Amino acid sequence: MIRFEQATKYARTKGIKKPIIENASLTLNRGKSVGLLGRNGAGKSTLLRLIAGAIKLDSGRIIRRGKISWPLGFQGSFQGPMTGEQNVRFVARIYGIDTEKLIAYVEDFAELGPFFRAPVATYSSGMKARLAFGLSMGVNFDYYLVDEITAVGDSNFRKKCQAVFESKRQESDVIMVSHSTGTIRDYCDCGVVLEKGKLTYYEDVEDAIRAHDSNMKEN
Amino acid sequence: MSYLATHIRVVGALLVREMATRFGSKPGGYIWALLDPAAHIFLMTLVFQAIARTPALGTSFALFFATGYIAFQFYQAMTSYLNSAVRANRALLSYPNVAPIDTVVARFVLQIGTTSLVAFIVLGAIIANMRVETSLHWPTILEAVAMACLFGLGVAMINCVLFLKYPLYEQVFNIVNRPLFLISGVFFLPDKIPAPYRDLVLVNPLVHIVMGFRKGFYPEYRAIGLDMNYLYGIAFLTLFAGMLVFTLSRKTLRNE
Repeated sequence: MIRFEQATKYARTKGIKKPIIENASLTLNRGKSVGLLGRNGAGKSTLLRLIAGAIKLDSGRIIRRGKISWPLGFQGSFQGPMTGEQNVRFVARIYGIDTEKLIAYVEDFAELGPFFRAPVATYSSGMKARLAFGLSMGVNFDYYLVDEITAVGDSNFRKKCQAVFESKRQESDVIMVSHSTGTIRDYCDCGVVLEKGKLTYYEDVEDAIRAHDSNMKEN
Repeated sequence: MSYLATHIRVVGALLVREMATRFGSKPGGYIWALLDPAAHIFLMTLVFQAIARTPALGTSFALFFATGYIAFQFYQAMTSYLNSAVRANRALLSYPNVAPIDTVVARFVLQIGTTSLVAFIVLGAIIANMRVETSLHWPTILEAVAMACLFGLGVAMINCVLFLKYPLYEQVFNIVNRPLFLISGVFFLPDKIPAPYRDLVLVNPLVHIVMGFRKGFYPEYRAIGLDMNYLYGIAFLTLFAGMLVFTLSRKTLRNE
């Protein structure tokens, strides 16, 4: 379960203060995968970082029950000068899991070949996505936070993502950000729309998509 | 308790990462962390041996410079490495269980280890090759080292925040820091400077660190003007200020 209680967060840059969420209260129960929808720049990625606990709220609180992944996207969290393997080792160490097992799993999943032992800075975005995805799937979480990651990669990769998610579904949930409503439909049961600092929960993902589409038509 | 376990695990992982990548692009890797200061001391010794006949203290130029340089390095190498601890590990902060302070602690531990190893190897080699018997006073040496490290840590924690907030400050800090090497008593003994100027030189806490460190190697050295209370005061005040600034600037450090 993840619960927002009067959660407020502002984004501040160079004197501009913009609300990401304002006084938002919301409960996300276990057993349902959530699609997070909102217009460009609404703060969906920031919201994921808040859920992960990588950044803190300005006021209010988020109660988390269960192990939550870091927000996995295709650009962040990797150190460019470190090889793919070194990055995997690092994650295994900070989460206290078997290093060799995780390396074997990720190497097999990501299919990077010799590039697995080359610096991440040399990777294409698709390769980074495969590494990020494989890495997080190798660690057992109750919630996986996914930021646009399925948008990159070929159809093969997407099929693989779907297959591994299917098997994870038994005990884990996904909270996913995507601009593609098709992806949201494929992976999620329910939806949350982020609009002007407000979070609205929809039991059915189709309703969320409809609400999002009508928001987009307004301007 | 589990918080502490996580921090220890993360610091351990960062330590390995730092060691693997600090000199990763150069052949030889971590050897350079040792070779660089050793070569520096060797060259300085050569240059000054050519200029002067006897060192300001004792008979060995090598020991005189090495004690000064290494005491100074405990502070200098510490800050220059730790100043960018958070910035260099920013990508890793997107893992929620990696905290900004972990990156500082990891580099702090690694730098203490590195400089200590340099000290052992360089000073050990010099003392082993000296004709005169040298007796070390360990408590004095360790006290100076501890103060250098804590003072360096405090300065670096302040810098971690201010460098990110005010890029201009980084330029200013680097310019001000450059002549520090020359005025910190690495080449000269502050004791021999005439009275009004000596007090000015003694304002610099690094002078006290160098004097204290040397005192442990030269039993006959009187270290006039050495004020350990002053050094303790400055070091702990700086460390406290560093911790305060660091804690209050969580947002800057996490790049929110």
